Amino acid sequence: MKITILNGNPDPDNQKFDDYLNNLVKMLELSDNRVVHFKLREMKIRHCRGCFGCWLKTPGQCIYKDDSHAICREAINSDFVLFAAPLVMGFPSAILKIAMDKLIPLLLPYIELVDNKECHHEKRYDKEYPLIGLLIEKGDDTDSEDIEIVSDIFVRFAIDFRTSSRFVIQTDIPVQGVSDEINRI
Amino acid sequence: MKLTVFNGSPRGKKSNTAILLEHFLKGFMETEGNSYELEYIVNNKDVGELVEMFKDANNVILAFPLYTGCMPGIVKSIVESLKPLCGKQGNPSVGFMVQGGFPEAYQSRFVERYLEKLAKRLNCQYLGCIVKGGIEGTQMMPQFMTKRIFNYFYELGKNYGKSGKFDEELLKRLAKPEHLPAWRRVFYKFSRLTGMANIYWDRQLKENNAFEKRFDRPFT
Repeated sequence: MKITILNGNPDPDNQKFDDYLNNLVKMLELSDNRVVHFKLREMKIRHCRGCFGCWLKTPGQCIYKDDSHAICREAINSDFVLFAAPLVMGFPSAILKIAMDKLIPLLLPYIELVDNKECHHEKRYDKEYPLIGLLIEKGDDTDSEDIEIVSDIFVRFAIDFRTSSRFVIQTDIPVQGVSDEINRI
Repeated sequence: MKLTVFNGSPRGKKSNTAILLEHFLKGFMETEGNSYELEYIVNNKDVGELVEMFKDANNVILAFPLYTGCMPGIVKSIVESLKPLCGKQGNPSVGFMVQGGFPEAYQSRFVERYLEKLAKRLNCQYLGCIVKGGIEGTQMMPQFMTKRIFNYFYELGKNYGKSGKFDEELLKRLAKPEHLPAWRRVFYKFSRLTGMANIYWDRQLKENNAFEKRFDRPFT
């Protein structure tokens, strides 16, 4: 399986989170997956300006040549994308959200009714979009309501990206558990 | 009453959020003695300054467009920098305004839950969340339709300027449709079949000489 991981750890001092993901990558590779691990805080990603250039000027790509192009390329060619970040103020880090916003070139501007019910953008690529999962590290202020809110919002993100969320997992389970979960997909 | 408004749209002054705020603030200013300051998050290089503004404010409204089902990344950045204010005494009352491109208000209800929790985290009195979908479409709506929507924002602002609260009944009426009613779904499917639904995009694609490239798949 081809897997892309977006590591949204904003804090270089939070070595624990990076170690967790590095171990996960190793484990996934041992079970024959190809993994690309993006460390977002080391990348240059301009936040989405809402200019719609990626739909209306240079269709399929952000008009700014930043590292989001590499992320879009890997993500759309993956079977699974793992979004990973510590929770800050009850939500995954801003650098992860900035990277998530920059995936909209993978969609078309055109809108269709999903399940004959709700408006969402059409897929740009004629293929099954990668399944997605979310890995979060709890903050000292995190409670079960936060986890519920974050999980529900992630499901909405999956619908926007014309795929489905396979899990929302916290880093307090052993790495092996996450690896198993991904290998089951 | 003194109000501090943060416009969290990445489009800044040229945003739909700015237009809606303009109507809201016009209503707000109908009450004598009211005043406001308006800050564009996207233009501000000094995050510390925004935090100070928030800390010193009596009443805050944070407005933004829905991005992939939630707040735009830059709004999350600002929220993170408010962390030192968590649980402190004397934080302002906060209200939110979320506008979406898709017509259903339902699509903004998830981030609304987050925002209510955020107010609690910051020990702020929570005034509620103004939710309205279908706002990108106002760009091509006839004036009589946009007038109706803008008037709701004016009324909400006027009411808020007087009472310091969001009028629940107005919020509910403005938010409609919560989900797309059956007739609109049928209408939408019909307008897709005839290509009518795509006019807004296709016209801009043609203006940009990008119409032929509209289905490009650069990453395969």
